[in-house]
Amino acid sequence: MTAPTPQSNAWVMAKIILLVLGATALYTHIGQLVPQKQVLAPTEFVFDQAATPEELAEIGKGFAEGKGLCLTCHTIGKTGALRYPDLAGIATRAGTRVEGMDALTYMANSIYDPESFIVEGFAGGMPTINEPPIGLTEDEMISVLAYLQSLGGTPTVTLETTTADLGVE
Amino acid sequence: MKPNKFILAVLGVLLILGVVAGIRGVTWFVQNEEFRAPQRVETGTPDTTPRDQGLADEHTAEQKKSTTLEYEPKAYRQIGGVSSRVIVWMLAQLHLLFAAFVLAVPIFALIIEFIGYKTGDQRYDKLAYEFTKLLSVSFSMTATFGAFLLFMLVLLYPQFMQYLTHVFHPTFLPYVGLFFLEAVFLYSYYYGWGKFSPRVHLFLGVMLNLVGTAIMFIANAWLTFMTSPAGVSKSGAVISTWEAVNNYTWMPINIHRIIANVAFGGSIAGAYAAFKFLTTRNEEERAHYDWMGYIGQFVAISAFLPLPFAGYYLASEIYAFSQTLGLQMMGGAFSWLFIIQAALIGNLFLAANYYLWLGMGRVEGTAHYQKFIKYLLIAIALCFAIWATPRSIISTVSEIRAMGGSAHPMLGYLGVMSAKNTAVNILILSTFMSFLLYRRTGKRATHPMAGILNAMQFGTFALAAAIVIFYGIYGYFVEAAVRIKFSVPQVGAVLVAMILITILDVILFRKAEQVGKMHWGRINPISQYVLIFIAISFTWLMGLMGYVRAGLRQHWHVFGLIRDTSVDAFTPTLGYATKIVSLTVLIFFGLIGVVFWLTSLSGKPDWQPQKKSAGELP
Repeated sequence: MTAPTPQSNAWVMAKIILLVLGATALYTHIGQLVPQKQVLAPTEFVFDQAATPEELAEIGKGFAEGKGLCLTCHTIGKTGALRYPDLAGIATRAGTRVEGMDALTYMANSIYDPESFIVEGFAGGMPTINEPPIGLTEDEMISVLAYLQSLGGTPTVTLETTTADLGVE
Repeated sequence: MKPNKFILAVLGVLLILGVVAGIRGVTWFVQNEEFRAPQRVETGTPDTTPRDQGLADEHTAEQKKSTTLEYEPKAYRQIGGVSSRVIVWMLAQLHLLFAAFVLAVPIFALIIEFIGYKTGDQRYDKLAYEFTKLLSVSFSMTATFGAFLLFMLVLLYPQFMQYLTHVFHPTFLPYVGLFFLEAVFLYSYYYGWGKFSPRVHLFLGVMLNLVGTAIMFIANAWLTFMTSPAGVSKSGAVISTWEAVNNYTWMPINIHRIIANVAFGGSIAGAYAAFKFLTTRNEEERAHYDWMGYIGQFVAISAFLPLPFAGYYLASEIYAFSQTLGLQMMGGAFSWLFIIQAALIGNLFLAANYYLWLGMGRVEGTAHYQKFIKYLLIAIALCFAIWATPRSIISTVSEIRAMGGSAHPMLGYLGVMSAKNTAVNILILSTFMSFLLYRRTGKRATHPMAGILNAMQFGTFALAAAIVIFYGIYGYFVEAAVRIKFSVPQVGAVLVAMILITILDVILFRKAEQVGKMHWGRINPISQYVLIFIAISFTWLMGLMGYVRAGLRQHWHVFGLIRDTSVDAFTPTLGYATKIVSLTVLIFFGLIGVVFWLTSLSGKPDWQPQKKSAGELP
């Protein structure tokens, strides 16, 4: 290789500036190609205290997808190598997990104290969703429970249902 | 007729004095009249109108209101219509980029100086000094942006800063003390070059590094606490300041930052050398800056290779602290950010390898090794493609129906961690192989066991690649809880292989015969633009990863403890974030250009007054 031919400094500087602008523009463009999702801070939801279990299940679906972050890990209707248990038909399966424990008690204990039951083949580590940073309120927890009941069953809980009624220790 | 310069100057001065005296006179007159006003009231009848009375009442009411005004502490402030978050974001990033450079350069400058001291080769000493010359202006930039950031934080987020002060006030004075020490050691290291005995100078360098690292560790405590708070009660009261410092992500960030700073600092120093290489007319200087660029690049890539492992450690500690945070990072709002990261790192690997391959042109008789380049290029390009393949494809409803989901029936398999971990580890191994080939150019091993050592090197490389691929494939057949642990043997195999191969290479080429001459400065100029491209990519990558580290908290100032209730308490789109990162990178490169220019001034000849022509008056 022979020694490179010197170029004028102005031309070199122009090429460097173009390179800086070009590379930055390229990376900015890549940033525009991926899905654009703006995540808003959770806002307080005002519950209608007379909401029916079905209405609560519909509201709870929103919390499971959003603030509760349930569906970040859990799936609904997926098979194969899963990260955490699939929730399709959970209301039916939950009643068969622990002998003598009904589905509602099992699901309630699972969301209030996530480490109480770990499904075989999966690792634990689910966060306590009624404490910060997720911090679902009592009414929001009931609505999520109603939603879980709707997955393979019929929702029965209302906002009058207490943790004592649910058998949560 | 030419006016007399002396008379003009005197007239000018008199004019200025006249204007000043005039202003002073008017001011005195107005103030004096204002003072006399009450005396006039005493001597004459006040000429009060209903309007005057109304104004007086208003004035009294205003005075009363101002004395009874309640103090209301503000949680947030705004400057005009500019987002407070963006102001703090950009200032923090600029401060961090300069700080990273100032902390990194002394690490490798000291090592290079030490090599020069041990070998007695003055070239190393000169090179270390050349790197150190960049520090002085950069240190001022770091301090300026640090102060700017602090003022903006106190101004825009007063309540949050009050809380951070509550937790970390015992660390403030040590931080300031260390900063003073940093200035003392930095300037004595720089200005004392050649003025002390080598041992004393090396000691100054060691102290500079220790103090700089301590400063970074303290600042890291503040920011990592915001992500993974510890040592405080549920309401935020301090239980233990040390626990708050030593939170889950503190040590992983410390380690990650030291390595990343060195990689970044090496790349910026390499860019400086490239800039000097391209603008010099002197053959000798060009050879020197070619060598400097190579060393800068070597430092950058050597630190870059173990960086993903430090990243794994940090990610695992984030998961250990909070599953929610970990999942937000890898599976939630930020998951697509890692595709952008893959594109950046892929570019960095490609550029680093390209530079090494171009570098082979400096050495005579490289044809033997150049034939391997095409295979390495194929491996690197494949790994890059796999790493940048997302799990879910952006597609229309009909496409999703056709694919049976958002994941592509075939490419979807490449979007999972098993494939990505495998790709990145092979990428690292391939780059390491490129470097080994470059090291060998122009040399012939004369070791009596050269054949065996070569075979051992190849065997180690093949075994490491086989382990990485085996676990990559096996990962598809096991549950997530088992699969996540496979990254450990994959990373371990690559690390052990790199260490073993390096040791074998040092033994193999210790007394190697030089068969091809090295011609520093004789390299394709494109290589220098590649160095600058690497520096841009590193800077952009630092900006992006800085965003995910801080943005991960989403609507929390301190995760799970102090909520962000400001108008900026939302997570922007990645497109928006990348624009802010780009803007910061452009400002940084504008400023680093100033640093390069100022540093270059030190080597220029002194200014000399122009010689006056004969007959001109002195």
